[in-house]
Amino acid sequence: MKKNRPDTGSKSRTGRIATIMVAALILCGFMLIITDLVFKPGSVFAQNSNISDVQLLARAINGEARGEPYEGQVAVGAVILNRTKHPDFPKTIAGVIYQPGAFTAVDDGQINVPIDSGSTVVRAAQDALNGWDPTYGCIYYYNPATATSSWIWSRQVVVKIGKHNFAR
Amino acid sequence: MSIRDKLLDFKRRLSDRKMYSIVITLIAAVALWGVYQYKRAANLRQELDNQYNRAFYEMVGYVNNVETLLAKSMISTTTQKTAITLQEAWRQATMAQTNLGQLPVSQPVLASTSKFLTQVGDLSLTLDNQNIKGTKLSDNQYKTVEKLYNYSAALNKSLRDLQSDLGTGRLRWGELASKGTKLFSKTSSKNMMKKIETLNTTFQDYPTLIYDGPFSDHMTTAEARGLTGDTLNSEQAKEKVKKFLGEGNVAEIKDVGKNDSGPIKTFSYNVKLKNAPEDQDVNIGVSQKGGHVVWMLRNRTVGEKKLDIDQAKKAGRDFLAEKGYESMEDTYYMTQDNVATINYAYSQKGVTIYPDLIKVKVALDNGEIVGIEAKTYLSNHTVREIPVPKITQAEAKKKINENLELHGSGLAFIPTDYKKELFCYEFKGKLNNNDFIVYINALTGEEEDILMIVNTPNGVLTM
Repeated sequence: MKKNRPDTGSKSRTGRIATIMVAALILCGFMLIITDLVFKPGSVFAQNSNISDVQLLARAINGEARGEPYEGQVAVGAVILNRTKHPDFPKTIAGVIYQPGAFTAVDDGQINVPIDSGSTVVRAAQDALNGWDPTYGCIYYYNPATATSSWIWSRQVVVKIGKHNFAR
Repeated sequence: MSIRDKLLDFKRRLSDRKMYSIVITLIAAVALWGVYQYKRAANLRQELDNQYNRAFYEMVGYVNNVETLLAKSMISTTTQKTAITLQEAWRQATMAQTNLGQLPVSQPVLASTSKFLTQVGDLSLTLDNQNIKGTKLSDNQYKTVEKLYNYSAALNKSLRDLQSDLGTGRLRWGELASKGTKLFSKTSSKNMMKKIETLNTTFQDYPTLIYDGPFSDHMTTAEARGLTGDTLNSEQAKEKVKKFLGEGNVAEIKDVGKNDSGPIKTFSYNVKLKNAPEDQDVNIGVSQKGGHVVWMLRNRTVGEKKLDIDQAKKAGRDFLAEKGYESMEDTYYMTQDNVATINYAYSQKGVTIYPDLIKVKVALDNGEIVGIEAKTYLSNHTVREIPVPKITQAEAKKKINENLELHGSGLAFIPTDYKKELFCYEFKGKLNNNDFIVYINALTGEEEDILMIVNTPNGVLTM
C-alpha cells in the first residue's frame, strides 16, 4: 500500500547517494562473484601427467606466441631449448618452462589454453627440437611494446621476429 | 511512469523495512564471501611459501654436501675413491641447481650461482671419468678443484645467512612471488632481493673454466670450420639467397636481422615468393662469410602424401648435391604432417662423418625442400685425415655384448659433448627387439657410446 510520504527535500540528496552506493556495492559484489566462478584461480588445468616434451613445448609456444608467424613460434621454442643447454638455467625443458617468473604465459595460466586443431605450434615445437634455431642461440626474448624491466632492454638484440625481440 | 518517477518509487521501496533487511543480508553475504576469499588466498600463499622453502632448504643441504665432497676429493689418494667422491659431488650439484631453478627469484639475480653449480657438476663428472680410467688429478686440476671448493664454501656461508633470515620469519618467499595482492607485501621483500643479489657477487671474479664438460665456457667460442669464402655484405648475401631459392621464384627479400656474435655471423631475411600466397613465405639465415645457408624454413600447408620415404631421401640428396653438398648419406629421419625431416651426414671414403650433419625437410606432396638446417655442418665440416684403425673390425666386434645380433657395421667419426671427434667402428645390432648402435673406438678399443634406436610410427629416431 502506497503511503503518502512528504516530499523529502534536504534528505533526498543524501538518501539518493546512499541508494546509489548500496546499489554499486551490490553490483560489485555480484561481479566479483561471477568473475571468481568463471576464472577459478585455484583450479588446476593440466589433464595428463605424462606429457611428452613435444606436447609441453607446443603448449608453451601456444601460450607465448599463439598469433606469431611460424618462424616466431619456432624461435620461442628454440629459446626454451637454448636455455636447457645454458649453465644459467635449469637443465630440463619442464624446469625451464616452469621456472617461477620466467614466462608470463606460464605465470598467468595461458600455457593451459588448449591447442587449436590446425595450429602450427606442434610443428614449430618439433622443428625446434630438431635443431632449427632462427635466433642463433638467444636465451631471452621480449615484446618491446610491453616490456617494462630495464634489465631486459640492456640485453643485446640479435634478431626481431614478429612482435618479439630476441636477445642473448 | 517517467524515469524519475520510477527512481523515486524505487527509493521509496528501498526505505521500506523489508527492503532494508534484504539489502543488509546481501551486503553481509558479500562480506562473508570476501572473508572466505581472503582466507583461501592466505592458505594458497602458505602452500606456495612451503614449496619455496622446501626448495631453498634442499638447495642449502645439497650445496653443503658439495662443499664437503670437494674437500674430500682433494684429500683422497686412490683414484677409485676420488672417482666415487666426485661422482657424488656431481649428483649433489645437479640437485642443488634443480632446486635453485624452483625459487621465485628473477633469473638475472641468480644466473651466476646457477652457472657455478652447473660447472662444478660438469667438472666433477669429467674428473670422475678421468679417475675411473685410472688417471689421478693433475696439479692444475687440483688447483681448480681447490678454487671451486673455496667458492662453494663462500656460497654456503651466504646461504646460511639467508636461511637464518628465513627461519626467524623476517623474510617470506611468498612476498616475492605475489603479483598485485598488495595485501601481503611488506617492505622486507626489498631486503630479501638485496641479500640474494649478494649471493651472486661471490662469483664475479671466478675464472672461465676450460675442461671437457658440456657447459665448459670454451664451447661457446669454438671456430666454425666449414665456413669458406669471403665476408659478404648484405646485398651480396641477398644474391646468394636468390640463387639458392631460384632466381625466378623470388618476389621480394626483406632484411630481418643481423647476428654478429657467435662463431657463425649471419644475415636473416624474410623472402616472399612469386606465385605463392603472402603467408607462405620463406625465412632464411645465411652466413656473412661465404653466404652459406645456415637455416631455412618454408611455411606452407602440405597436401596429400604422394612420395614414400625413399623418394624423399633421394629428393633431399639430389637437392644437397645441387647446392654443392656432395657425398651426403642419410642417417636418420622422421615424418610428421606429411613432411619428412631427414638427417644427412657427410661420407668420406666410406666413413660416415656424423659431426658434418645437415637436416632437410622434404614435403611429401611434391618433393619440395621446405626446410634446411646446416649449422652443425658449417661448424664442423673439413676434409679429415682418416687414420688407420689400430684394431681390426674383428677385434672390435669381440668387445661387444655377445648377445647383440649384429646386422651392419662400418667406420664413423662421432661427435662428443665436448666438441672432440672420435674415430670409431659402428655396429648396428638387435637385442630383445630393441635396435642398438655401438661405437667402439678404432684407435683405443674403448666402448665410446651406445645408442638405442626408438622406432616410432613417425620414423626412425635415436635416443
